[in-house]
Amino acid sequence: MITRCRPLLGTLVEISVPDEAVAAIAPAFDAIAHIHARMSFHEPASDLARLRAALPGHSVAVGRETVAVLRMALALHRATKGLFDVTIGRQLVSSGFLPRDSVEHLGRFRGTSADIAIVDDTHVRIGRRVLIDLGGIAKGHAVDRAIEVLMENGVPMGLVNAGGDLRAFGDRDWQVQLRDADDVVRLAVPARNCAIASSANLLNRRRHRGAIHGPHVGLGRQPVLVDERITVVAEWCIIADAMTKVAMVDPILAGQILDAYKGYVLPNAPVAATMAKAV
Amino acid sequence: MKRRVYHTALLAALAAPSAVHATVYMSAEQAQAVMFTGEVLRPDFRQLTNDQVSAIRKASGEAPLRHDLKAWRASGGGWFIVDEVVGKHEFITFALALDASGAVKSVEILDYREAYGSQVRDPRWRAQFTGKRAGQSLQLGRDVRNISGATLSSKHVTDGVRRLLATYAIVLAHAG
Repeated sequence: MITRCRPLLGTLVEISVPDEAVAAIAPAFDAIAHIHARMSFHEPASDLARLRAALPGHSVAVGRETVAVLRMALALHRATKGLFDVTIGRQLVSSGFLPRDSVEHLGRFRGTSADIAIVDDTHVRIGRRVLIDLGGIAKGHAVDRAIEVLMENGVPMGLVNAGGDLRAFGDRDWQVQLRDADDVVRLAVPARNCAIASSANLLNRRRHRGAIHGPHVGLGRQPVLVDERITVVAEWCIIADAMTKVAMVDPILAGQILDAYKGYVLPNAPVAATMAKAV
Repeated sequence: MKRRVYHTALLAALAAPSAVHATVYMSAEQAQAVMFTGEVLRPDFRQLTNDQVSAIRKASGEAPLRHDLKAWRASGGGWFIVDEVVGKHEFITFALALDASGAVKSVEILDYREAYGSQVRDPRWRAQFTGKRAGQSLQLGRDVRNISGATLSSKHVTDGVRRLLATYAIVLAHAG
C-alpha cells in the first residue's frame, strides 16, 4: 500500500491504495479539494459564504454537491427532531470555534435548518438568515466522494481517512485504531467495506462568558460536552460522520436512524467493524 | 574517596511516556516528481538573515523555525519548498509547490511525527530525525496507522503555508 497525505478540510487527509494504483490518488484528492473549496466555512468564495450573504426569499446558486450534502443534512435534521443542525455556525462563531472575521452582525443569523429550502439540484433558498457550518458532515461526504473516484478509476481496494472520519473498501480488513477522548489509543478494530467516524471534545473546550463550550452543539443550542469518544460505523461516511454528533446526545435515537443506513454505534469493546453482515 | 556522581536526567527522560509514532508519506524527491511532473528542479537553498526572519514573522504572524530555507527552482519558473511545523504533539514536514506567479499549486505532507510530552518542542529531539527523512529505516507510506478519533487540526500546516508565502514574497520572488 501507498499512502499520501494532504491538508484539506481543516484536517490531514490520508489516501491509501495498492502501489500499482498510485495514479488514482491525485484525482481523489482533487475531488476532496473541490469539496473544500465549495463547503469550507473559511473560504470566502465558498457556497457557504454565498449562503451567509443570502437574503430571505432569494434563490442562491450553489454547487450540486453542496445541495446533495444539504439534502442529507436537512433529512437528518428532521429525523433527529432538530438535534442535528448545520446552522449552528452562529454558536460556534460566538464561542470562538469558528472565526468571526467574514461574519458581520452575528445576531442576525437566527434561522435553523428548517429555514433552508432546496429549490433544485443547484439552488437553495432560505427563510430566515442562517449561518451554516458543514463541519459535522462535509468531511464524511468528501471521504465518500474520494472513495467513488478511486472505484471509478478501477482501484480494487483503498482507504480514505479525513482526520478520523474514514471509509475502507476492497476485499481485506483494515486495522483501524480508535483514539479515545483523552488522546490515547486503547482499541483497534478490523474494518472491511465500511465507514467509521469518531468524535470527541474532551480536549477541545474553551470558556466563553463563564460557560464551557466545545465544538458540538445540541438541542436548544446548548454545548454538548462528553468525556468519551463516540464512534459510529455505517455504509457511508457522510452518515457515520453526522451520526457521531447525534450519538453523543442520544445514542438510542442514533441507533434507530443508523438501522436504516446499515450502521450502528460502536460499543466500547473489541468487535470487528464490518458491513459484511449488512450487505 | 571521591564519590561518583551519576547523571540521571537521561533515565528520567526514558521513563517518561514517549509514545512516538512516525509516518513517512513521501520523500522530497517523490514530492518533486508528483508536484512538478516533467520539470527539472535545481536547489536554491538560502540562509535567512535576521531582518528577513523578522519581516516574515511580521507579514505572516509566524516565526520560521530555522534560518536555512530549503527551496528548489523549477524549470517552469515555480518553486518547491520543504519546511516543518510543530504542533502541540506533532512535528510535520511538508512540501509546498508554488507556480511561477507565486500562487500555491499544491501542498503535500511528507512526514508526520507524533510524541507525547514536551519532546516535540525540543529541537534536539527533532534533530535526531534530520537526514533520516529519506526513509532509511522507514518504508515510505507503508507504516500508516489508520486512526479514527477527534478530528485532527491542520492549522499548523496552514500557518506554515502562510509563513512560506511570506517567505517567498520577501526572499524568493525577486530571484533572477
